[in-house]
Amino acid sequence: METKIAYYRNKLSMTQEELAKIVGVTRQTIISLEQNRYNPSLLLAYKITRALKMKYVEEVFGLSVA
Amino acid sequence: MIGKPHWFKRRKYTGWGFTPATWEGWLYIIVAILPFVLLMGVSPINQTRMILIIIWALIVCVDFVDIVIHLPKDERDRIHEAIAERNALWIIVAVLGIGIAFQAASGAVSHALIPQVDPFLLVALFAGLLAKIISNIYLDKKD
Repeated sequence: METKIAYYRNKLSMTQEELAKIVGVTRQTIISLEQNRYNPSLLLAYKITRALKMKYVEEVFGLSVA
Repeated sequence: MIGKPHWFKRRKYTGWGFTPATWEGWLYIIVAILPFVLLMGVSPINQTRMILIIIWALIVCVDFVDIVIHLPKDERDRIHEAIAERNALWIIVAVLGIGIAFQAASGAVSHALIPQVDPFLLVALFAGLLAKIISNIYLDKKD
């Protein structure tokens, strides 16, 4: 899973801690997501998409092509 | 309950349970332990003190369990915890199995009619099996 969380988060001048608090996870989870090390649940992916003011999950999350 | 789960965090590297994450958590631990020290350490234990110790121990145990159940965890924490607990359980089951096999083999070598195996080891394995069956039935019905 590849994410653009860091890109959209920086665009909103939002810290990892702030995003974590909004979506109800730890900062460590946001770090893991941004480093493409953790695949989130669909619910968390939707929450993050909404928190980053984006409309579609695909804009933030995508399958990495190996 | 008395203790608030957000005062604590999951114990990751030093065993099971929780560890204080805030000063309220440390205060709670001190308040939970203090009555034991006062009731057991001041003078010889009589029956009244013993009853008080048991009642306080029950209250503390119930509250500890409530805190453990409600510890703040996100989905990643839950997955990590589940995998760590599974790995720990595999080791426990393996050691229990080796213990039972060793006791049964020792009994056979000493020509005992019925191999002497510690019943607590068997009960522990059976209880674990029962917990797994019940968990799977519950989870299958839940989702």
